[in-house]
Parts: sequence; C-alpha cells; structure tokens
Amino acid sequence: MEPGAEQPRRLPRALPPMPSQDHPGDEVPLSKPKKKKSKASNGIEDMVSPVERRHSESREPLTPEPQDAPQHRRRKKKKAQQTPDSETSFMQRSTADMPLQEDLQNGTSDKLPSEDDVPRKPKKKGKKTRPADLQYANELGVEEDDIVTDVQQPNPPLALFAAPLGSSQPVGKVFVERNRRFQAADRSELSKVPEKVDDFMEVRPLWTTRDVALNVHRGFRMMGLFCHGILAGFAVWNIIVVYVLAGSQLGTLANLLVQYKTLAYPAQCLLYLLLAISTVSAFDRVNLAKASVALRGFMTLDPTALASFLYFAALVLSLSQQMTSDRINLYGTQGVNGSTLWLPGLEQQVLQPWIVVNLVVALLVGLAWVFLSSRPELDYTEGSMFALDAEDNPSAEDKAEIQA
Amino acid sequence: MLQTSNYSLVLLVQFLLLVYDLFVNSFSELLRSAPVVQLVLFIIQDIAILFNVIIILLMFFNTFVFQVGLVSLLLHRFKGTIIVSVLYLGLSISFHVWVMNLRWLNSNSFVWTDGLQALFVFQRLAAVLYYYFYKRTAECLGDTRLYEDSAWLRSAFSRIRQ
Repeated sequence: MEPGAEQPRRLPRALPPMPSQDHPGDEVPLSKPKKKKSKASNGIEDMVSPVERRHSESREPLTPEPQDAPQHRRRKKKKAQQTPDSETSFMQRSTADMPLQEDLQNGTSDKLPSEDDVPRKPKKKGKKTRPADLQYANELGVEEDDIVTDVQQPNPPLALFAAPLGSSQPVGKVFVERNRRFQAADRSELSKVPEKVDDFMEVRPLWTTRDVALNVHRGFRMMGLFCHGILAGFAVWNIIVVYVLAGSQLGTLANLLVQYKTLAYPAQCLLYLLLAISTVSAFDRVNLAKASVALRGFMTLDPTALASFLYFAALVLSLSQQMTSDRINLYGTQGVNGSTLWLPGLEQQVLQPWIVVNLVVALLVGLAWVFLSSRPELDYTEGSMFALDAEDNPSAEDKAEIQA
Repeated sequence: MLQTSNYSLVLLVQFLLLVYDLFVNSFSELLRSAPVVQLVLFIIQDIAILFNVIIILLMFFNTFVFQVGLVSLLLHRFKGTIIVSVLYLGLSISFHVWVMNLRWLNSNSFVWTDGLQALFVFQRLAAVLYYYFYKRTAECLGDTRLYEDSAWLRSAFSRIRQ
C-alpha cells in the first residue's frame, strides 16, 4: 500500500470531536461526518507526525465508538470466517501484509495493542473478498448479510494499519465444510459439488404419485372389465330365473312370488352394486368429466359412450324397481295396519312391469358389455388425466364450446 | 412435494371410505333386522362422506397451486366433484332421516311412498356420480405438477394476472 492512499483514512482519528461541534444535535450516523472531516482535513494530513498519530490512537478507546467497534468487527469476523473466501483471503493477506509489517517496524509495531490486530482483519477481508464475492457468492451460497459492500467508508480508526489496496486474485482453492471438517477444494470443482449432493440427497422414488394414480386407474379399469361381464351374466341369469318361475305367459306368478321372494332383495342389492361399479368404469372410459370429449363420443357413437349411456339407463330403471322388489321381499307378511301388500289379482298388475323392466335392464347391460368387451383397452381418461394445459384454460375451453 | 407413500395412504383411506359407502348403499336394505344397525350404518356413512370431502379439501390446500393463490384453477377444475359431493351428502342425510323415521318402530315394514322412492333414486344416482367424480379427482391430485413450481404453473399465473 502506498502511503498516499493511507492518508485520507488516518486523519479522522486526529480530529474526533469535530462533527459534534459542527453539528450539535445532528442525528446523522457517525460515519458520515467522519468522512466529511477526512475530506476537509486533507490539506493538513501531511503535517500530522507519526507520533501524533500514535497519540490519537491511544486516545481512541476513550470515545464510545471505538469501544463498540472491535466487538462489532469481531462478530463480523466470525461471520466472515464461515465463508471459504475468508480462508483464502487470510492466506493471501499473509503475503500482502509485508509492506505493513515494514511500516510497523518503523516504530509503531512494538506499541501496537493486540486488539488492533483483531479489528483489522475483517476490514482487509472485506476489501479483498469483494472481487471474489461477485463471482462466487451464488455458488457458495453465502448470505447477503455476510457480504460487506460498503467499501466506500473505511473505518477511520483502523486506517493506519489497513492493508494495501491491491486487487486480490482468487486462489484456486477454497475450504468447504464436509463431514464437519473443512477440506480444500478447487473452485472449478465447487460448482459441480452441489449437483452431486442434490443427486445424492434427492433419491428419486421408484413410484411417483402420478404412477400410483395411473396404476390405481388401470387397476380399477381391469376390475370394471370383470364387473361388466359379471353384471351381464348375472342380469341374464336373473331374468331367466324370473321367466322360468313365472311360467309360460306369466301364468304362475304366485309361484314366482313364493320362490323368488327370498332372492328379490339380495338380487336387487347385488344388481345395484355391480351397476354402480360398471357405470363408474364406463364413465371413466368415456371421460365424462370432460363434457366436450364425452359429447363427441356420444355424437360419434363411440362404444364407451354408448356403454355409459346404456349402463346409466339400466341403473335408473333398476333403481325405479326398488319399491316393487321390497314388496316382493315382503310377500306373505302383513303390511301397515294389518293390511296385506298383495291383494288377490294384483300380482299381474305389479309384477308384469317389474319383469319387463328387469328384461330391459338385462338387455341394456348385455349390450353394454358387448360394446365394452369389443374394445376393452379403450380409455379416454388415462390419456388426458394429467393434461393440465388444455383443461385449465377456461377461455380456450369456452371458445371451443362456442365454436362447437 | 407430496410423498408417494403419503399419497398412497391418503388414496387408500379415500377408497376405503368410498367402498364402505358403496357397501352401505348396496346392502343397507338387507341389514334392517334392527333399526339401530341401520342407524349406525347410516351415521357412519354420512360421516364417511364428510371425511372424504374434508380429505379432498385438505389435498387441495396441500397443492402448490393452492398455496401460490391460484385457487380458481383448482375450483374450476374440480368444481364438479365439490358440487356432486355436497349434493350427495345432502341427499344422503335427507334419505337416511326419512327412512329411519319411517322404520324406527317397525324396521321390517313396507314404508315406500312415491316421494321416498324418488329420493331413493336420486340419492343412489348421485352416489354413482359421486364415486366417479371423487375417484377421478383423487387420482388427478396425484399429478406431480400440482405440488411443484413448473412452466405450466407460471404460464397459468401470468395468464390469470393478465
């Protein structure tokens, strides 16, 4: 460091009370007036002897600011030591301090208090690490608070022992904490380390949530395919049993009631269970939630759309016969107020629609099963289940609907 | 980010509740030997529907899309599920109250009227729609893009801001 560069920093030490005299009651931070004073006193700095400077140095601990400053600097130093740059700058400074040591040997080094060495380090670090911060702050993950940026205001009490302002060159090695120990590492390799750590830390699961959802969907589709067949077979078996028990031209309806009354309600419940699963499966295949896709399927007589319609119609028809099924179930028991549910001659009137509806249900279910089993792999939901882009654009969807 | 194990567990719970609901809807008429049995089944069924609605709402809250404030995106996409679920819950409670009121004194009697039959049909149809929409929503919420920052989310965000 050249002596001329040091002089503007030394002078404020010689004139500590000036700001308070010029601006009594001024609440401006202390550093600003000092800076002004240093500029104002540029003309007399050469007249101040080194001895006087030492005097001012010894007086400084009496003022409140220098007492606080070393503690503050120590804190800063602790922070700075956590960064790898501080280590390199410290190593670099050992060579850069040579002019300073020569300066100290001229008469000041023997009287230097040990405390002054401590605050001096962060200042030098702040200066020297600055070119490196800009390049490596991001990759080292240093917080912004740890980076000292106010280089324009050097601390006047420390200016005497400031390090030379030579531009520091980043060394090739930095010290990174690994396994609770600091280890040297090349800067060029440092940028690769986080990627490796990320790869190591983020262990990709074999199944993502998306895979789970897709597998559940496929599993349900497979189960639905079985349900379609079981439902068709059960409905056909049910209507055959009814027609066999009812006899030719529905001549033995009483026999049907006697024989079938224990089967009527369980069959109705099982029919609802299978119809519900089959309908949900058919809706899944046609992607009913997307009205445009479902409507296109219906218009083009897509097998899945037709099967969905047939299953839904069969479900409505089957549910509408719940009351009659319960009436058959309660055949032979007394109704409310002792009245019988089956008046003589009413069997034909009640049972004929019920048989016809069951026949229609069996036909619908059988037809839907034929449609679906012809193309069992057809599923419009699986392909568009995770298509967020198209679905979440209401304006585009509305435009498409308007055009349709 | 939603963990696969957590999602699988939540999905399992949701499907168990749906299966219980389907079981009660299918076979509750057979289990009416004692009115208390049916009452307990119905109460648990209604609570299960409520739980399912709460779970799906919690899953909405857990998405990154919701947390960045794009609630309208989720509501727009899953409004069918929310509407059908609430409708089904209302229909179920109404039907259960009506049926239990009629069958409380004599559980094995013929209680059907035209109104009850109509409510029964609507409740069972809503149940099927509820199963479909709920299952689809639960599966769609497994999309990893809903739980992380992505180009799609940024484009959606900028589109909404415009």
